[in-house]
Amino acid sequence: MSLFTGSMHLHVPGYKELSDDKELLEVAAGSQVFIPLYANHSLKFDVLVKEGDQVKVGTKLAECNDRMYMPIYASVSGTVKGVQKRMHMSLKPLDHIVIESDGKMEQAPAFQPLDYQQASREELIAFMKEAGIVGKGGAGFPTYVKYEKAKEVKKLIIDAIECEPYITADHVMMATRFDDILVGILAMRKMAQAEEVVIAIKKTHTDTLELVSKAVANIGGVRVEAVPDVYPIGWERALVRHIMKKEYDKLPIEVGAIVNNLNTCYAFAKALLRGQGIITSILTLSGDGVKNPVNVHCPIGVPASELIAACGGYTSDEVKLIAGGPMMGKTIVNDQFVVERQMNAITVLVNHTVKPVACQRCGMCSDVCPVGLQPVRIAQAEKTKDKAMMEKLCASDCIECGLCTYVCPSKLEVTENVRKAKRHMAMAKK
Amino acid sequence: MKFVFNASPNLRQKLSTKRMMMELTIALLIVYAFSLFYYASNSEYGTAYVMQALILMATALVVTFVCEALWALFKKEAMIPYISSSFGWITAIILTLMCPVDTQPYALAIATFFAIFVGRILFGGFGQNIFNPAAVGFAIIFASFAGAKVADVATAATPTALIAGEYNWLTINDSMISALLGKYDLWTLFTGWYPGGLGETCTLLLLVLGVVLIIRKVIDWRVPVIYLGSILVLTSILGLMAGMSITNFYWYPLYHLCTGGVVFGAVFMLSDPVTSPTSKMGKCVFALGAGIITVLIRVLANAPEGCMYSILIMNMLTPAIEQAFAGKQLALRKKAWMTLGVLSVLGIGSMALANAAITPAEPKVPEKPKTVMIPMDDSYTAALNATLDGSLQNEDGSTTYTVTAEGYAAKEGPNMPNYDHPFDPNVFEITIAADGKTIVSLNPTVIKDTPYIGDKILNKKYLSQFEGKDISTLQEVQKNDVVSGATFSVKSSMRALLEVKKALGY
Repeated sequence: MSLFTGSMHLHVPGYKELSDDKELLEVAAGSQVFIPLYANHSLKFDVLVKEGDQVKVGTKLAECNDRMYMPIYASVSGTVKGVQKRMHMSLKPLDHIVIESDGKMEQAPAFQPLDYQQASREELIAFMKEAGIVGKGGAGFPTYVKYEKAKEVKKLIIDAIECEPYITADHVMMATRFDDILVGILAMRKMAQAEEVVIAIKKTHTDTLELVSKAVANIGGVRVEAVPDVYPIGWERALVRHIMKKEYDKLPIEVGAIVNNLNTCYAFAKALLRGQGIITSILTLSGDGVKNPVNVHCPIGVPASELIAACGGYTSDEVKLIAGGPMMGKTIVNDQFVVERQMNAITVLVNHTVKPVACQRCGMCSDVCPVGLQPVRIAQAEKTKDKAMMEKLCASDCIECGLCTYVCPSKLEVTENVRKAKRHMAMAKK
Repeated sequence: MKFVFNASPNLRQKLSTKRMMMELTIALLIVYAFSLFYYASNSEYGTAYVMQALILMATALVVTFVCEALWALFKKEAMIPYISSSFGWITAIILTLMCPVDTQPYALAIATFFAIFVGRILFGGFGQNIFNPAAVGFAIIFASFAGAKVADVATAATPTALIAGEYNWLTINDSMISALLGKYDLWTLFTGWYPGGLGETCTLLLLVLGVVLIIRKVIDWRVPVIYLGSILVLTSILGLMAGMSITNFYWYPLYHLCTGGVVFGAVFMLSDPVTSPTSKMGKCVFALGAGIITVLIRVLANAPEGCMYSILIMNMLTPAIEQAFAGKQLALRKKAWMTLGVLSVLGIGSMALANAAITPAEPKVPEKPKTVMIPMDDSYTAALNATLDGSLQNEDGSTTYTVTAEGYAAKEGPNMPNYDHPFDPNVFEITIAADGKTIVSLNPTVIKDTPYIGDKILNKKYLSQFEGKDISTLQEVQKNDVVSGATFSVKSSMRALLEVKKALGY
């Protein structure tokens, strides 16, 4: 607590117990999978297959060369049925490559595995790029970009916190696959040439803390740090602030830090060990709107409806279906969207409407904002379309973590108002 | 199957504005209950006072609900939801709790109307008002209805009225301090066992409720802590500057803290989120500013009400404070430290200024009687008639002369209505020693001036001045009383002396 700022984070109930200790559910692809053509906000893909082509698990389907290279691999074996527009988790209708699964899951590694201990740093970075590793924290940013520019890295921070409520995918992954993950972490350390690796795990996850601490006990320069159970401490900036007590301007590398999600390490490990791109995902299906909350392991491109059916279906006729966690995930008005590479959760909540009252200007939203913005005032400026004020209040720096709406006692849509301000500013710039 | 769209996030915390307002209401009602208990259990007061307190609360609430109901009707909004989400009753309760028990209900009714209608509804309702509505209402009572008191439920002078009225808010005189604290000692002030604003007295209860409200996240700790802290520090500095001893100055800041609704204002009014800045740094500056203004209003304007005006002034400055701290809060911390530093220096500086501008109250020393010298050749004295009735030789060789001389009754009596012995002169016995000039004594034997004021002047002290004086050289007589009318009796005695002097041949 500081005199002049609020906490800049907040404990949010996690509801992790819903799916925490349940066994991972393997969900096989149905008759068809739909592979989205989407990479870091780019839709410009060179599709490498055509209708009728036979593909195997790992066949390269398409690649994006717009600004950043990104390959897309097939997640099942079968026949390409063409390209279809479908609702994507980013709330836009996008092109998806449709593959009719033959159910055999025949493997055809797209690239050769690599022994990270033998490979040079440059080779590893090139490998990561080719494997199409994206940040699995939710943003889907190509990971190799971080390492290309890495210089004098003091700390490689592995975010295994999962500060979003409901999500336990990383928890399950650590419990069942930490040996693989460690390979990814050590390869990344080599790429970053970091002095130290810090694996950040929530204080309250004592079992994982113990397990990981034991696993890295004999490895020099790798340590586990227990972080408080607050949201959004998994945000890059908040995590660097907490662990290194430093602020940076644009990228964490300015203060000698690289932050990667644990999920990303696992994807990289699978590429190194088995020559696999991101073709499956472990994600949490949870919330009070689904009958049997659980973590699932499924191929990319499986529609949400199939996963929810595998978990026993909905508990209510009126739900909010969220691609991602309840804080940052977007509600999607049908369950036809598919599992995407960076997706770590689908949350289903029974719909409750709350009646808002007038803003009492309590400033709680400003207190908890991890960026240190003043959402209440940005919303005011948005109301009066005061662009100069929005700029002064740095509205466009908002990361849309949703904490301001969460905390608002008057139950107002604070985050949405800030989003409106951001859009307003972006429009004015054009 | 219905998939509802909702902009993220899709989680809400439990705490709601309605719950915060309900908790605030409960806290206010506890304060009110204490006040009722005080008047009910104090033998000096009793049922009439409790009734009056109940009437006041009922008045404020009824006016509030009627105002809001009419407004909802006018705006064609559903009445009950409008009233229940505008939280006007909180304003009404706060306003009532600021009023002393002897406030006229009609004055409170008018003030409540202004607080609710002008202070809240006209600004756009809950969340939109610039000024603390209860403070607006109380300013109306304070400025316009200060004399509108119910005589039946009068109380002793409140501690603030006492220290403002008789002590200029500052005294360093030990006897005055003990007189002040004798009326209301610090423990009485702390526990609230004295008359005052209904809810403003019990510092202890208010502090406890403040802590609870802070823990319950209804109010932010910064505002009350900085506000009360700054008042303590500034008044300590002022007390020490004025010359209070370092071991015994503490009563002064505590007296400031425990009186005049400062703690009530800190917990229930200054911390009102609607009218204070939203950012933490803004809140700090806001609270410190209010603390400085409260102390300045008290000591410089010598007013009993520093808290309420400081709230209104800082409410006015809130938009400016908000503007000053717009942006990213981490980047603004330096500015906040600077602002707070400058304000602190200004506050301490203003205490130095205040110390130079005001003089600590000193005890009023009873005025010494003026001594008036009356010459023997006074023309009025000469105009009085006198006769030497006789003389008597005493055994020790002295001589006692009996003289009849006109005095006030004889001279002015005819003009006085209902005076039953007009023209009656006074009779004196004057004894002169054997040497023929030293006065041994002057004794009035018959004083007809008595019904008026003559006997007051012809007292022992007056008479004794003649003993041992030389009558031949006696030039003037000392009149040791400020009562002007008595001069005539003095002159009568002087006329008698003149007669003796003449008889002795001087």
